[in-house]
Amino acid sequence: MTISAQVKQTLASLKGVQATLETFASAGENPEAKEMLSRNSQKIAIIIKDLEKRLGVLEFEEPQYKGF
Amino acid sequence: MPEWLSILLRSAGLFILTLLLVRLIGKRQTSRLTFFDLVTGIAIGVIAAAISLNLVVILANGLIALVVWTGFPALIYLLSIKYKAVRDIVQGKETVLINHGKVLEDKLLEARFTPEDLLSQLRKKNVFNFADVEFAVLEPTGEVSALLKKDKQPLTAKTAGLNAGQESVPQTVMLDGIIMDEPLTAMGLNRRWLHTELEIVGVAPENVFIAQVDSVGQLYLDLFDDAIQVPKPKAKELAFATLKKCQADCELYALGTKQPEAKEMYGKSSGILSEVIEELEPLLKR
Repeated sequence: MTISAQVKQTLASLKGVQATLETFASAGENPEAKEMLSRNSQKIAIIIKDLEKRLGVLEFEEPQYKGF
Repeated sequence: MPEWLSILLRSAGLFILTLLLVRLIGKRQTSRLTFFDLVTGIAIGVIAAAISLNLVVILANGLIALVVWTGFPALIYLLSIKYKAVRDIVQGKETVLINHGKVLEDKLLEARFTPEDLLSQLRKKNVFNFADVEFAVLEPTGEVSALLKKDKQPLTAKTAGLNAGQESVPQTVMLDGIIMDEPLTAMGLNRRWLHTELEIVGVAPENVFIAQVDSVGQLYLDLFDDAIQVPKPKAKELAFATLKKCQADCELYALGTKQPEAKEMYGKSSGILSEVIEELEPLLKR
């Protein structure tokens, strides 16, 4: 597997986790837990953004593996 | 009137009367019997029995005694709620039996407690070694409460230095196959959500005996048909494991890449992820 494919996989997993955290945050009642969940989901969003940027560079370098 | 009829009428009447009068005294009696409670209870019972068996010749005399024995305790209970002095006399004070790990012999004598009594009471609290007790007190009800030494106390999240996640009460959303709308709305959910969740695990609503939703919205089920295995919700554990995997991935990429800026970006991401993992661990794992 090329590195871009691996990064794509990580990216997908991270997006999945972020979605799970958001679901938990919306379902919960405890305001503290809700706040913590959404704060961490925002942190993950930053990483997702960084990884996507990196993925763009990788795809530029290896255009033959472009696309999901 | 034949004697049997009068006894029947008296007994029936007294049964109802005592029932009402005892209600006056209040609920505390049954849950925590002090010696005083015991005495009044026996007195009321004996008087009622004596009247109903015609042992008291004049009915009015018996009734007066009965009213006094129920009215006074009721009054004293009311007073004891207000004044501590009354409370101490009526309900008695607690006696310290063990202080700083040392048995106080004179207090034992005061409470008419033999050493065997003390040990047997401690055993009831699952304390088999008296040396484990830091402080023990004889409650007015005759029960012994014991505080264990710090190193003998059961392990809690705090003493283990762990962070425990906040969790609110799970809501019961289905009982006996019937959907409970009120708890559902309390969680901010609706019937359609429940039907979707049931469809995901592949269970018919009429087959559900109990369904509960925990604080993060995961559904736990028990079915009428015990042969069917319901998958346990794993979303929390799965999310935690995925986070850890992503963090490891980022570290791996940081090692693999030759570009310094990419290396730095991966390193930073892995750092943030480990922070996230640390913060979410109590909620997702415990």
